[in-house]
Amino acid sequence: MKLHSLHDVPHSEERFTGYLKGICDTFEFDDAAYAGVNPASGTMHAIVTYDKDWQDHYQDQELHNLDPTLQAAMRSVAPVDWMRLRHDSNFRAVFDQARDFGIGECGLTIPIRGPYGEFGMLSVTRKCSEAEWAKLKRNVLAELQPVASHVHDHIMQSEPLTRILHHPNLSLREIEILQWIAAGKSQQDIADILSISNRTVEVHLRSAREKLVALTTAQAVGRAIGLSLIYPS
Amino acid sequence: MIITVDGLNKHLFQPLLDDMFRLRARVFSGRLGWEVNIENDMEIDQFDRMDPAYIIGVDDEMNVISCARVLQTTGPHMLSDVFSAILCGEPPVRSANIWESTRFCVDTERLKNRESKTAVSRATSELMLGILEYAQASGITDIITVIDPIMDRVLKRSNNAPHGYVGQTVPMGKVKALAALLDCTDERIQRVREFADIKGEIFIPETLAAEKLQARKARAEMGVTGAVMSKPAPSLAELQNYCFDLLASADSKKEAEAALMLMEVLKDKLGTSDVAELQRLAAGLSRQQEETKTCVSGTA
Repeated sequence: MKLHSLHDVPHSEERFTGYLKGICDTFEFDDAAYAGVNPASGTMHAIVTYDKDWQDHYQDQELHNLDPTLQAAMRSVAPVDWMRLRHDSNFRAVFDQARDFGIGECGLTIPIRGPYGEFGMLSVTRKCSEAEWAKLKRNVLAELQPVASHVHDHIMQSEPLTRILHHPNLSLREIEILQWIAAGKSQQDIADILSISNRTVEVHLRSAREKLVALTTAQAVGRAIGLSLIYPS
Repeated sequence: MIITVDGLNKHLFQPLLDDMFRLRARVFSGRLGWEVNIENDMEIDQFDRMDPAYIIGVDDEMNVISCARVLQTTGPHMLSDVFSAILCGEPPVRSANIWESTRFCVDTERLKNRESKTAVSRATSELMLGILEYAQASGITDIITVIDPIMDRVLKRSNNAPHGYVGQTVPMGKVKALAALLDCTDERIQRVREFADIKGEIFIPETLAAEKLQARKARAEMGVTGAVMSKPAPSLAELQNYCFDLLASADSKKEAEAALMLMEVLKDKLGTSDVAELQRLAAGLSRQQEETKTCVSGTA
């Protein structure tokens, strides 16, 4: 298996690595990496913020064939804390080398499964104590999950085939709620209007945002209007 | 206690998974009458081949008492693929923050014989707690779960009412099915813990769980030989009866003689006088048999 790197594409490099660097700044990580596979088109993507030296070394040594953070995430539903992989001999093989490039062992990989067999994973790492890592992870994981799937959806939809398959499939409830948001109603207003709980409105909004590949509700409303799913009020 | 099994550690827990698939067969095919695929008494579907995560409740002896399965809603899952009737054809909820929980069940047969009347209720709460805490630690904010109306009532009664529902309640097998939403917040976790009076850690660490499963296997193997060895020695009366029965059922002179010989051998166990008495009775018995046989052949 040969890694196809988006680094060869200048536009994508700036756009996506810039985005990953933004994730690191926001959540206080040192580095982030995304790897994605699309069996439908037979393509692979890899975007990383690591130093050029480590990237070259990783590619030269073909460490992606060993790297348990990639292999493990493919079989997991939950994010894989690298702590869980430390007994793996391949983990030692990769991270003993990584240490020489200033990369620590605290990190995690978020797996993202797509509906058509596409698969992505976002890895983040930070050089710190285990206690500090545990705290950071607890604080940011819920926020990091949708960001990981956002990156994945963006990159997958940079391919024409996937873009066609992935037209936003919103439910009537999700559209209805976005329409009320566009009309200026608050989440609680909408809950009262629809006689459902505030939390249930939140669930539909989360789902609507992800389907529209938007991180904020405002962005989702903009896209929904652009796609004529809802009317501008 | 709760064990989480997924694609990374399933090789350590295959016997536990098999027990879980058998429990699911009893519950979903048997009790609920759902149209599920059963192979070798185990209920396994296509989602079990996608490396889902299982939350499994076990007792002190590592027997499976409850289980549930979770999948990401971003990828293939039951509501998007097989439970679409519940959603009335609407697209399912999709979010990296939301997991789908299915095949939630508790082994009520195993638990109803327990001394505590609350065993089923406790196992249900512990499993719910297992799902909620595992999901929360994974950055999940909400669970969408496919349940039957009975489970919905159980949730409401155990301080764990869903915050909402998606789609409709539709007939499924002998019951109905619906999709409920549960938040994975500290507040809900606290409420479930208080209701079931569950304190402290409910998860067994992977290595400890694997050791306990090994111990279960060893116990099961010991149990077979142990049963033979621990069988109580026959009482004197049983031994006498056995010898007597052997004589009584003797069809030939040879068999009767063999039975008498056995009595001779067992003389010191049975006591000389008893043997003499038995042999006297036996001699009469074998004569009686001869007579009966002659009689029968005479009639013929």
